[in-house]
Amino acid sequence: MLNTTTTISIASLIALLPSLTVVADEIQFNRDVRPILANHCFTCHGPDSATRKAGLRLDRRESAMQKAESGERTIVPGNLQASELLRRITAKDDDERMPPADGAKPLSAKQITTLKTWIEQGAAYQPHWAYIPPTQQKIPKVIGSAWPRNKIDHFVLARTERAGLKQAREASRETLIRRVSFDLTGLPPTLKHVDAFLSDESPKSYERMVDRYLNSPAYGEHMARHWLDLARYADSNGYQYDTEREQWVWRDWVIDAYNRNKSFDKFTIEQLAGDLLPNTTPQQRLATGFNRNHGITIEGGVIDEEYRTEYVMDRLVTTGEVWLGLTIGCARCHDHKFDPISQKEFYQLYAFFNRVPERGMRGFAPLERIPSPLAASQQQGHDAELAQLKAKLNDPNEIERRFTEWTKRIAETPGSGWSVLTPISMKSSGGSTLTKLDDNSILAGGKNPPTEVYEITARTNATDLTAIRLEALTHKSLPGGGPGRHTNSNFVLSEFEATAVSVKDASRKQTIKFVRAIADYSQAGYEIAKTIDGTVAGNNGWAVDGPTRKKPVTAMFIAAAPFGFKGGTELRFRLRHEASFGTHSVGRPRFSVTSDARDTLQLQGIPSEIRQILSKTPSQRTGDENKQLRDYFLANQTGSNPLQQRIAAIEKQKAAAVPATMIMQDMAQPRTTHILDRGQYNKPTDKVTVGVPAIFPPMAKNAPQNRLGFARWLVSPAHPLTARVAVNRYWQRLFGVGLVKTSEDFGVQGELPSHPELLDWLALEFIRSGWDIKSMHRLIVNSATYRQDAHVGAAAYGRDPNNRLLGRGPRMRIDAEEIRDAALAVSGRLVQRVGGKSVYPYQPKGLWLELNNRPGYSKAYPRGSGDDLYRRSIYTFWKRTVPSPMLKTFDAPEREFCTIHRSRTNTPLQALLLLNGPQFVEAARTLGQRMMTEGGRSIDDRITYGFRLVTARRPSNAELVVLCEYYTNDVKRYSNDQAAALKLLNVGESTFRTELNVAELAAFAGVARLLLNLDEAITKG
Amino acid sequence: MSSPILDSQLLENRRHFFGHASTGLGVAALASMLNPDLLAKEPTRDAARIGGLPGIPHFAPKAKRVIYLLQSGAPSQTDLFDYKPSLEKLHLTELPESIRKGQRLTGMTARQKSFPVVKSPWKFRQHGQSGTWISDLMPHMAGVVDDICVIKSMHTEAINHDPAITFFQSGHQQPGRPSIGSWLSYGLGSETENLPSFVVMLSKNTFHQAQPLYDRLWGSGFLASKYQGVKFRSQGDPVLYLSDPAAGGNVSRRAMLDRLAKLNHLREQQIGDPEITTRIAQYEMAYRMQTSVPELVDTSDEPESTFKLYGDDAKQPGTHAANCLLARRLAERGVRFIQVFHRGWDHHSNVQKYLPTLAKETDQGSAALIADLKRRNMLDETLVIWGGEFGRTIYSQGNPKTFGRDHHPRCFSIWMAGGGIKPGISYGQTDDYCYNIAENPVHVHDFHATILHCLGINHERLTHRFQGRDYRLTDVHGRVMKDILV
Repeated sequence: MLNTTTTISIASLIALLPSLTVVADEIQFNRDVRPILANHCFTCHGPDSATRKAGLRLDRRESAMQKAESGERTIVPGNLQASELLRRITAKDDDERMPPADGAKPLSAKQITTLKTWIEQGAAYQPHWAYIPPTQQKIPKVIGSAWPRNKIDHFVLARTERAGLKQAREASRETLIRRVSFDLTGLPPTLKHVDAFLSDESPKSYERMVDRYLNSPAYGEHMARHWLDLARYADSNGYQYDTEREQWVWRDWVIDAYNRNKSFDKFTIEQLAGDLLPNTTPQQRLATGFNRNHGITIEGGVIDEEYRTEYVMDRLVTTGEVWLGLTIGCARCHDHKFDPISQKEFYQLYAFFNRVPERGMRGFAPLERIPSPLAASQQQGHDAELAQLKAKLNDPNEIERRFTEWTKRIAETPGSGWSVLTPISMKSSGGSTLTKLDDNSILAGGKNPPTEVYEITARTNATDLTAIRLEALTHKSLPGGGPGRHTNSNFVLSEFEATAVSVKDASRKQTIKFVRAIADYSQAGYEIAKTIDGTVAGNNGWAVDGPTRKKPVTAMFIAAAPFGFKGGTELRFRLRHEASFGTHSVGRPRFSVTSDARDTLQLQGIPSEIRQILSKTPSQRTGDENKQLRDYFLANQTGSNPLQQRIAAIEKQKAAAVPATMIMQDMAQPRTTHILDRGQYNKPTDKVTVGVPAIFPPMAKNAPQNRLGFARWLVSPAHPLTARVAVNRYWQRLFGVGLVKTSEDFGVQGELPSHPELLDWLALEFIRSGWDIKSMHRLIVNSATYRQDAHVGAAAYGRDPNNRLLGRGPRMRIDAEEIRDAALAVSGRLVQRVGGKSVYPYQPKGLWLELNNRPGYSKAYPRGSGDDLYRRSIYTFWKRTVPSPMLKTFDAPEREFCTIHRSRTNTPLQALLLLNGPQFVEAARTLGQRMMTEGGRSIDDRITYGFRLVTARRPSNAELVVLCEYYTNDVKRYSNDQAAALKLLNVGESTFRTELNVAELAAFAGVARLLLNLDEAITKG
Repeated sequence: MSSPILDSQLLENRRHFFGHASTGLGVAALASMLNPDLLAKEPTRDAARIGGLPGIPHFAPKAKRVIYLLQSGAPSQTDLFDYKPSLEKLHLTELPESIRKGQRLTGMTARQKSFPVVKSPWKFRQHGQSGTWISDLMPHMAGVVDDICVIKSMHTEAINHDPAITFFQSGHQQPGRPSIGSWLSYGLGSETENLPSFVVMLSKNTFHQAQPLYDRLWGSGFLASKYQGVKFRSQGDPVLYLSDPAAGGNVSRRAMLDRLAKLNHLREQQIGDPEITTRIAQYEMAYRMQTSVPELVDTSDEPESTFKLYGDDAKQPGTHAANCLLARRLAERGVRFIQVFHRGWDHHSNVQKYLPTLAKETDQGSAALIADLKRRNMLDETLVIWGGEFGRTIYSQGNPKTFGRDHHPRCFSIWMAGGGIKPGISYGQTDDYCYNIAENPVHVHDFHATILHCLGINHERLTHRFQGRDYRLTDVHGRVMKDILV
């Protein structure tokens, strides 16, 4: 089994691995000395000028060699006696010894020896490796010259040969196709693809297989899914109320960009500055959603600037981590403690992102309606159909035909429609100012009392009235332009009461009893019926989701018996607002009445004056009346016409498909940026202008001094970090660990690369290829390094548990999304539709409401059905405060901020999810059905079929025996207990094939459950 | 640099229930699977620690565990714990600028023209030998005042709920840092292999304007996600996905797990990846949880005297009292950090109407928990905490007749008990207006430092390196409040 023939003691490897270098006499500053100085000295003697002690900085040679404030020379190269540093780190006296007792950790004897040797050898400094641009690397010579398949392998083999290790053999074909399939598409291979690959004996079969996966639409989805972690993408706004947003259109842009193989430099420039490109296109502006993916608060009472500052910080910190691999956020409050980025330089970078015309509170703007690139063809289809329908609709003959039809139909239907009432008196119990507007609505303003009763009177001459209509209209003077008077635009109408009084004889009075109330919209828990139930207790009343829905609403109240006195009726309305929320009054009510029959009532009826005209025969109508009719008809062309219904349906679809999405913009007059003392929004100090840190090459001379200039600077070939950081992340994704393990920190505190020459070579190759992402992946997965077997036995595993020397192939548990997608794929249930609005698959009941049940600000998880249950996990609705438990259990982050790498844990909660989660149980029973119906005739064949679907390989005899025995036992059990079998087969929404033997089907489902729980099922290796 | 690979990677990949010696214990778990007797054993409270960092605790701890009853929304200190006879004279007078000192107000009252002081309408009395003042709204807490330490001088910088509660839970106002409980799981490991070491319970909310909660409040931030709190729910499965939707009795689950282990073990022999052994052990733990968790949340084995102590509410799952009782049961079973979230204290109007309801919802269960732990000799080793994310203003929000109280970060009261805290004392003083701290301020960072101290941890030395920096719960601040320690 073992390919590594050399026997090396564990002890010697542990000594070797920490620094990942062969022990050498020559001290190297970057490898041996800087980590000691950084961890033990830089806090007081490093780049941060504010906390620097004794004027000494040790991160720069020239200052370490100078005389310190004490007059002593800290380091004298080659002279231990004269070097104050050595005296201080070895001093016996606690007051003299460095680092001080209350400061950093003390130095070990070994570290002191290292520093001694270094000074003896001349105290050479090296610039930090990551700040030096990558250099052309010679391809190393190797002994095992037969092994390498491409240049990557030369670098890898040279390293293992130096360590005296050997490479593992090539993995089996089944392992390879499964590994490549997961790595490039996030999905397991189909059996058709496995069989084709196994039988393809041509020398280029592997490369062909790789290319097929690179060209699959699933590639873009899989690549995008990783990018979403970096981009802290979510479908909700985070912070407190975590309301919904519509950034999925941006998510579709990312999928599309990967599938089109947009080069990484363009991918970068468009996301960071697409809005600033000359002749910017909507799709380029859509790309800038990247930097609007941060959380946005709507908590009442926050200070706008405080949160706006946080958004800008988030943008800069995210951009720094994703492209520079640097923790520049440290310099928000003070000069960076380890890396050469001063606080001033931080705010110069900050200035690039500080020009968005945005707010802190509800800071959603700027927004733009841009279609998803994946919906473009669908969109075009819609547009063509709309154009056709509209042309038909506007054809004069067609209009005439419909007009005649309409006048005839309305004339034949009895009823008088709604008559709007003119208010004659308006009283407020709480002191609001009520003003009658021209349209007879009543606008409330002025004082906004906690509780309020409006008393409105109006007159009508009609009798036999059947219902009263109340419209709650919106107005620009009302908060948020909504229908209610509360700051969140909501109202709660506790109770609606009406009395009819005879105009002729005021003693004739009648309280109108209502049998029903109907509204075109009610907030959950605040239904319209609560306005006529006679109680106001417990905040009982009608509300309309003002915080999220700022639209007019209409209600009607149907009387138990017709009302209205001959000779005129005075109607007295009471609108009681008595909920404890305070200031929740209706902002602009309007009243109407009707005499139409109770069963024909509609909220929006034809006005009575139009009905009156229509009641005349066409020859009786005056020219004016005909014009009035025609105008009304043309202005209200909605309703029963099938053409219009079709248009409305398409437009609705279109509008939902193109929501307003958050994008970046720069203000015409940019904000002035200041350094913020301790990073606090309200402590601005010196003014700064845009700029990049001095440690890096400068921006091009003629570059625009804005985000566009910054983005182009990031992808200029001279930049030392961008290409390295990107290729390292690709490596990390494929191998589990990057060449630089700290993929989020290439700075001084980060780890040194395990294969520095390989990293440089890959970075330059990436730039040389024109930043071609697919090519880079092709290069890596085609290497012999990638194709190695991961199965090397416990001893070899133990020698290099993390495979930092790349002596074997990658093996790791797949990510949460891949686990779910794989279960769906092997069950045959996966719906592979690319892009679109996020969906709501299964999740345990109550998870949303148990964290937030505040009326108007909360809702239950709107579980989807049908296809929505079986889409890829990238489309699962991502709510920041309650991420999908299916994903979170397997280490998906909350997406509150940029995540460069997820943790990979192994917990009992994961076992419970795979064993019991309805999504997985349903997938298993469907897989069982596949085994039974597609897997052949014998039990062995059927089980083998399922096993291959899940693992791509055939089970060993020992494995098959275990599974068959399990199956046989279960068939017996289920034959005696049909109820248990049906219980299993009914988990989930989909149905099972009833013509199959229930006991056998359940037993296969049981085997499938076992298969989906195998370690191998959730591991690529 | 010490061995970075071994340091972090090994820790990252080991489940915290089994810790460093995972291979060994994993094998033990495999063996136990074949021997059902081993599984039936109740875990003992003295079980060896599982996981955690070497060298921690730094010194002998007073507390083994924490029960934190978090009162989200911010209870009014003036009406519950901070007795202010001085307000009799000041009632309905304008809060002077000399007291307010131009302090930042929330958007809710910043534009209010007048700031009339409103005294508490409830009577305060002294109780116990300690003579601690408690308002009549907390009659049961009045009975345990000699066991608790009331801190009247808490303060924070945050003035809105989200940043304030995030600060209390993680030491930072913006999301992204690990919660207290996850720091403890990370540092101290677990005392039980049948239950998670950090458990969260949410009380059902009854107040219509309650603030939402968010998963990140018990999240693990940049620590591995296995350190996050596990929610025990009062509806559906107590732990997500605990029950088999196609359950056909334990026999079949056992049969399946035995075969699963067999197949995984076959694979492990070929590959040599210890993660497989770990996974086998996780399935065993999951299996045990399917028994241990329902047994834990089923309180029908409690004697009637328990319900007398905790009140009838304790029979209703999801009430504060029921969660307090469960907290005690979790504590008995070795869970390290138990947090109960109760919402509804955010009374911007009508304090007189709403506050008594909230006090009633929490009073008896909280007091019963103290008494119960004490009679079981567990209070000494259990740190119990009760408090919100900030306090409430002495001035009225809105009309003083139906007064509300706005957010007030400058001073507020919490209480701590057991686990190394001095019993029967009040600590810190506020001024006559209950607006500023007059003596012994306690900042949120100090509060965190003190909790860690009680658990034997030097708050400056429980760190995690992330993005090149050693982070800690107390950032670069925090003092241990020695005055309140035994």
